[in-house]
Amino acid sequence: MNILKVEGISYSYTNASGKQQVLNDINAEFKAGKVYAIVGESGSGKTTFLSLISALDKLQDGDIKYNGKSLKKIGGSEFRLKYVNIVFQSYNLIKYMTAKENVEVAIDFDNRKVDANKYLRQVGLSEEEGRRLIGKLSGGQQQRVAIARAIASNSPIIVADEPTGNLDEDTEEKIINIFRDLAHKEKKIVIIVTHSRQVAKRADEILKLRKGKLS
Amino acid sequence: MFKNMLKRSFLSIRRKLGRTIILASIFFMMANLVLAAITIKTAVAAQMDYAKSTLGGTVTIQADMDAIREAQKEEMENGSDRKEIFKNMVRPAVDVETANKVATYSDYVKDYSYELSSSANSASLEVVESEGDNGMPGGPGGRMRSESSSESTLEKDITISGINAYAYISGVESESFTIKDGTYFDEDTNDEAMISYEFAELNGLKVGDSFKIKNVYTEKTIELSVIGIHDDSNERADSNAIYMNIETAAKFLSADDYNDGNYNVNNVKYYMNNSDKAEEFVEKINTDFPSLAENKLKIAVDTSEYDALSGSIEDVGSFATTILIIVIVAAIIIITLIVTINVKDRRYEMGVLLSLGAHKKNIIGQIAMELLIVGTLGFALASLSGTILAKMMGQSMLESQTASSAQQSERNFGRPGTQTGSSTGGTMAPPEGSETRSMKQQMFTNNNKDVELDINATPIDFLLLFVTGYLVIIIALILPSINVLRYQPKEILAGKE
Repeated sequence: MNILKVEGISYSYTNASGKQQVLNDINAEFKAGKVYAIVGESGSGKTTFLSLISALDKLQDGDIKYNGKSLKKIGGSEFRLKYVNIVFQSYNLIKYMTAKENVEVAIDFDNRKVDANKYLRQVGLSEEEGRRLIGKLSGGQQQRVAIARAIASNSPIIVADEPTGNLDEDTEEKIINIFRDLAHKEKKIVIIVTHSRQVAKRADEILKLRKGKLS
Repeated sequence: MFKNMLKRSFLSIRRKLGRTIILASIFFMMANLVLAAITIKTAVAAQMDYAKSTLGGTVTIQADMDAIREAQKEEMENGSDRKEIFKNMVRPAVDVETANKVATYSDYVKDYSYELSSSANSASLEVVESEGDNGMPGGPGGRMRSESSSESTLEKDITISGINAYAYISGVESESFTIKDGTYFDEDTNDEAMISYEFAELNGLKVGDSFKIKNVYTEKTIELSVIGIHDDSNERADSNAIYMNIETAAKFLSADDYNDGNYNVNNVKYYMNNSDKAEEFVEKINTDFPSLAENKLKIAVDTSEYDALSGSIEDVGSFATTILIIVIVAAIIIITLIVTINVKDRRYEMGVLLSLGAHKKNIIGQIAMELLIVGTLGFALASLSGTILAKMMGQSMLESQTASSAQQSERNFGRPGTQTGSSTGGTMAPPEGSETRSMKQQMFTNNNKDVELDINATPIDFLLLFVTGYLVIIIALILPSINVLRYQPKEILAGKE
């Protein structure tokens, strides 16, 4: 079983008010086939935690290991390329590309020859919708494209930062179901950072971040 | 990875058409000017090489005026009378045998010429009065007969001008000379001469007519027949000059001066087929013919013809280099600015790519690829129009440079049409100052009016355009690349950038 281990990570930064400890000796284990919800108040360190496990930010203390391989040894770019994909609240799609082309970017990075429509269909988007430029899609559709891109990257870990934050309830439900399917059917590790109780409820495990500590 | 970068580059180029058109236009304009400058520089280099091989340079043997003045000074210091020194002064000259022998000392001597000049008069012939004479001494063909200006009665002479080839008459060389009737003399013609149209009109002479003239110094009279009548568009040309081959002119010499055929000649010129070899030739002659210096003769390189022609062209070449440098610097600055702004605008896209695992070098590679693709398009289009622009620019630059040089020449040599007149008197005459000046100016004007640049882009020019263009792109990428290296995906995607 694929396992992502977080071993004693701490994170701080210094600002005008002095040193701010954002994360303090966090230890956690994320297993394939499960959806994890990270919840916590604003400023609890959720986004920092997400940035660290998705290798968007550099580790200060501790380590993150995927199946025993250290992130520090693998390197950030390589870790993002091979092991983790991120779904953002603001979708982070390339605007001059169509939905399909956005998905193809992830496929190309993985050097595979797969039809991007397969992943778009998986998130409920038609081929016609796949041919549209990002600006011509609704927020829900754009988030589906972002998820399709994450799936297409073939990464075993999918990290999502408030993926339903900009979506209505119906769409939120559909998106959660997609994440659940990814974990349960495709045996991916899905970690969702969320404020939404609805989303948290649908997760297999909920982890609470409070004042930089995980409980 | 390369294929993916290429795919994304093409997508970006196609979808961001406005930006692509602006960039392509800048590359197109830059490439046009670069190609024009490169093509002009190539044409200039080719023209210079051609000029060097065709004009080559001339080596002359002439009186060493410094040595003559030095000798005079020495004589005066030894108590000789100043008037006597000047009266007895003989202009140094080289004998025909030496002149011929010198010519064999370099493989680069294309041809050589010399003259035998003297003055003559005739009771039956009138001489043409030039506009600038007005009773003043000097001027072409004019000469004072008496040494004392107070006693002088001005009388114009006929100039006997013997030359070893028609082609080396100064008017023929400067292309101001045209044959109106008859033909030119050559080495086989005997007692035949060419006269000016004005002289012929004044004396009612036609081709085939004969006339007699008498050398004013030797008093030998020779009957000559008219072989040709010429016209000289140079208004300073001596209308009273009678041109003939050197053997005919030698008949006017006294037996002593004739010296069994080894008579003295002047205005000895060696035409080099490569001006680079002229100095070497001069050094060799100075070493092997010490008698020249002993006789107060100086052998010197005269590249004035080449210099006159090359001056304007070299200026055009320098101007093209300046344009090239300015365009390259401006292009680097403009493209750097555009790419920097573009990179900033696309930081979000770059953040996405970085979050997907792209390396920063791949991001920079993609930007470079986009620029290279658009640049190649601009350069290719400029390859079609650049040569036309080069022709227009080159000719315009050359015309402007030639006009400017001509003005400079007028200032240096005196205004055209103004008699510069020499007051040089005595038997030493020819009025070298005025004639040399006018000849040089005429030569300059003639050389420059014919200057044309064969501006056509060569395959090397196109290659240089593309190499220069790509180098500009690479240099322009340095600053934006540093920005990309500073990008952190977290900062960008968290909206902190």
